[in-house]
Amino acid sequence: MKLYEHEAKQIFEKFGLTIPKQIAVIETTEELEVLTLNFPIMIKAMVLIGGRGKAGGIKKADNSDEAKQIVSEMLDLTIHGYPIDKLLLEEAIDIASEIYLSVTTDPATFDVVIVTSASGGIDIEEIARTKPEEIWKTSILDNSKVLPDSIAQEAVDFLIKKNPDLIALDNQLKTTICSLFSLFQQVEAKVCEINPLILTKDNKIIAADAKLVLDDNSLYRQAPMLKSISIDPNSKRHDVAEQTQFEALAYKIGFPYLDLLSEPVNFVKEKDKLYVGLVPGGAGYGIFSIDEVVNIGNRYFDSNVIPINFMDSGGGPSLSKVADMFHILMDHPAADLIITSRFGGISSCDIFIQGLIMSLRDRFMKNKRMIPVFGRMVGTDLAAARAFFERAKRETPEPLKDLHIIIGNQKIMADVIKDGIEYGFKVKKELKQGGGN
Amino acid sequence: MAIEKLSSEQGLLHYLIKKVRPELASKISESKTIETMIVGLGRQGTRHAQLMMEYGTDVTCGVAPGKGGRTVHETVPVYNSAKEAIIEHPNIAIASIWRHYSTAKDATIEVIRTGIPIVVLISEFIPLKDVRDILVVARKYKTILFGGNTPGIIFPPEGIKVGMLPDIFQAEQKEGKIGPKGVTILSRSGAILYHLSDALASAGIAQNGVLGVGGDGAIGSRFVDLVSLVMNYENTDLVVIAGEIGGMQEELLAQDMLSHPEKYPKPIVALISGANAPEGKTMGHAGAVVAPGQSYGTYSSKKEALEKADVDVVNHQRDLIDTVKSKLNRIYFKIDDYYKKMSDKWNAKPPEKTWGTLITNVMPNNIMIRGYPLQEIIAKKGLLETLYLLQRGEFADTEEEIIELEKIAKNAIREEFPNYDGVPKSPDVSKMLGTFLQIDKRLSNYASSVSDESKVVAYTLGRMVKYLAIIQDNLEVLNSVKDTDVSFADLIYLGLVGEAQPGSLKVRLLEAMITACVDHGITPPSAQATLVLSSTRAPYEIALSAGIQAITDVHGGAGQKAAEFFLSVVNKSKEKNIPLEESTFEMMNSAIKAGKRIEGLGHRIHTQDPRKDILWQLAEEAGYAKDCVTVSKMVSDVLFRVRGMNLPINVDGVIGAITADMDIDPKLAKAIFVFGRTVGLAAHYYEEINTQPQMRRLAFDKVIYKGHSIRSVE
Repeated sequence: MKLYEHEAKQIFEKFGLTIPKQIAVIETTEELEVLTLNFPIMIKAMVLIGGRGKAGGIKKADNSDEAKQIVSEMLDLTIHGYPIDKLLLEEAIDIASEIYLSVTTDPATFDVVIVTSASGGIDIEEIARTKPEEIWKTSILDNSKVLPDSIAQEAVDFLIKKNPDLIALDNQLKTTICSLFSLFQQVEAKVCEINPLILTKDNKIIAADAKLVLDDNSLYRQAPMLKSISIDPNSKRHDVAEQTQFEALAYKIGFPYLDLLSEPVNFVKEKDKLYVGLVPGGAGYGIFSIDEVVNIGNRYFDSNVIPINFMDSGGGPSLSKVADMFHILMDHPAADLIITSRFGGISSCDIFIQGLIMSLRDRFMKNKRMIPVFGRMVGTDLAAARAFFERAKRETPEPLKDLHIIIGNQKIMADVIKDGIEYGFKVKKELKQGGGN
Repeated sequence: MAIEKLSSEQGLLHYLIKKVRPELASKISESKTIETMIVGLGRQGTRHAQLMMEYGTDVTCGVAPGKGGRTVHETVPVYNSAKEAIIEHPNIAIASIWRHYSTAKDATIEVIRTGIPIVVLISEFIPLKDVRDILVVARKYKTILFGGNTPGIIFPPEGIKVGMLPDIFQAEQKEGKIGPKGVTILSRSGAILYHLSDALASAGIAQNGVLGVGGDGAIGSRFVDLVSLVMNYENTDLVVIAGEIGGMQEELLAQDMLSHPEKYPKPIVALISGANAPEGKTMGHAGAVVAPGQSYGTYSSKKEALEKADVDVVNHQRDLIDTVKSKLNRIYFKIDDYYKKMSDKWNAKPPEKTWGTLITNVMPNNIMIRGYPLQEIIAKKGLLETLYLLQRGEFADTEEEIIELEKIAKNAIREEFPNYDGVPKSPDVSKMLGTFLQIDKRLSNYASSVSDESKVVAYTLGRMVKYLAIIQDNLEVLNSVKDTDVSFADLIYLGLVGEAQPGSLKVRLLEAMITACVDHGITPPSAQATLVLSSTRAPYEIALSAGIQAITDVHGGAGQKAAEFFLSVVNKSKEKNIPLEESTFEMMNSAIKAGKRIEGLGHRIHTQDPRKDILWQLAEEAGYAKDCVTVSKMVSDVLFRVRGMNLPINVDGVIGAITADMDIDPKLAKAIFVFGRTVGLAAHYYEEINTQPQMRRLAFDKVIYKGHSIRSVE
């Protein structure tokens, strides 16, 4: 989970780093008017997606008219498609020089890595490519929770070599690096980055920006930290944006779900396209089944098939959770068809089919919208699942009349998907003709 | 017909073990079994332990803190720590870890430190910082670490799986034998593994190893650590990797292939998922997220990197099949055979859910306790020795252990029982004993504080003697005897009968009758009542009390009525001066005409109660096979004369007859039964809490005896 800059900075401050004075976080121009401000100030768009500087999401205002104009313009802006809802106002800093400093996770070895450069304020990946000698980098192989002084000293020596002006700040820099490292370990971050870390004209070191991505897996034991910055420890957001309505609902119920369509709630469908909801088993197949639907759509259906979601049932979901997976898609205004696959490993085919049928019966009784379900089940508890399925078909044929589940792996899943899509188009055509419009 | 599996020594798994721990590998070559350990026995760990065993994996032991000393699936021993387990089972080569993410780190590190070469970390959502701590140790021990968040590993030719993979993988088959060749699959996702294998099998391509490397963002062994390793196994013809967006594992592998082509002598096909994934949104697996603004981790960065290293990259099941087929140009088994095997699975009836007991095997006319025929135990062993056998599974090695139990039992008689006065007198001995058990504070304290279960049962027997002495008004006599002079068996006799110096023959005869009643497996209602309470983890003495109170005239309590009947037959014969057989006939005839049952006859399971002959014989030897015993021997035949039907005498009838001939209170026949059965009920209580999950569905008819096979008492 990524934190907004103002949240990250509050945490930085708790760990002894100096941050620019935060004046307010506002959501409207009216809020600006009641503030007494000492100009110049910085106005920053609080979005999770990166690249906001280039997109006009960071501006300096020298007087109140300028501030008003910037605020009203910025609140209308979108950055890479994501709207700006909040702005941070903070004091502007006099810059003498800029440093890059981060503590992150090495994507290759998963070790903690400290990276610093005396050329801060610009894209670090760009520097890494063009001027690698400007970057100092070291891995912490023993996952120690406190940074050894000698390593911090090495980093500082490097910075001083590159920018002799820093010599007066030797100790301050060392403390900053050690603090950021402790912060990284204590809040269990994945990424902890200050770019730029500013050296002011009066020899202070200030974190002008703050990027903090937390490890989702450790959030459960970071509740006090999250509460301290007013984040509900049971909530969740993406690294780029807040959740959609369906995503939030699924998160609450307890299974991973992502919308692939923008604005799913008020989605306007294209009439020739078939929109496919997916209830796959397992995260990996959840990702792959999206590709399969697209590939099959491109190859056999003139690119008219659009997958609408990612879903993962996780290990061994409960009956009601399985039912909710189908409910969420049948409530989804875009979905024309659901494709499902249960390859029971840890999760049982039996629970799957029972949950699926529970949702269909429930919707039938309550007269809720029902769409065809196509799929296959194989693996753990298949025999029991099959017995249940056959009995259910005898007992309640009506709710299950558009449920097409192949038992066993007589057909590979790609072919089941193809059949399902074909069926989906057939139903769509019949509906059109039958409806007379 | 089952085809013989590949010997483990020829398989990929053994090859992997040899690469990291050559010494262990050569030990395994000798023992011919690859031993595994299960760490974490929650719902999933326990269930999959069974599925692994059914598949053919040798599950040697389990580890679960606080459950040490118990067993799982009745026979697999459980230890409190991996450290303890490895001392008992030094050849364990693989451990699978099923702990919750909040405790997975410590469990994993502990396992790695035992030196086990292959660790399969099933747990998902482990915090990144914890994973790094694990990796620090894993690197030091050169462990092959699959996961976290792996579905496990499976080796179809050897028939070994560790983890939760379903049994859908197919090995090479030629000339009716399993072969080691095929493709080896490595995947970051579980479900993808299944879909991959299933697609390949549909084209006749075998898998000799299917390895889940884990779906978390930070994992143990990566593609770059494993691909070249498995590729150098001689029977791997091709490697398939299933990658996905996020991280840089695929890019790293590609890099290594470019810089060290000699490490990669065989073809690789990569199926990469996530061509249509949105940026910045984690897709289920903690590792599957396209990090915004990074040069790695996207579908196209992976595809490009791998293609540069000459790897075929596919994104569709059909393309995977076509690509692999064109590279191998062969099939490894008859595709029809595969579909036959699979359809047998999906057409199979749902398996019956059975469970096991190791205590007593009851078959018609046979009662085997821990494998020993009960009649031999009655003939050759004392009650405390039998108690020891029931609890521990074996007879004691030394006499000292029995002497200690005897001390405990005798001491239990001597200890105070202050509050028994309040219990109302009842002619029903089960009801009184059950009540005493419930209110006896000393027993309750002893049972909850002493961990040695045999001692608890010995203590219980001592208390039972005290209760019976109270019921029979023998407490004063009992208290007047100094227990240094007498044995526990003497005290039992004294407590029950009230006779101070009955002579060793009588004492031995009573003890034998008690021993005859110790257990009858899961079949009797009393054992079932105790099990119901055990499954809810009720206190020991409460579960015992429930079982004892299920012993009524209908079950186990017929001895008293039988004794009374035999006595009346004998009296009538004396009164009317007719032969015993005639008076039996007359009495039986009139009883049946009056619509009464003849007690002590008939058994739900046995036509020849295995306990009867030895008891008659011991009575004979002791000189107490008198008229009632004679009647008890003829009663079945007489019944045939009366009703034309066969109803054999049962143990209650025999005990009734002997007690009558010993001239002791007929009421004691039932007390003897209850007293003896207490030992068996206690054994079932402890077996339930030590080997079964709490509040399980108790299907009494689905029990299978899984204990020691038949053996003789020395």
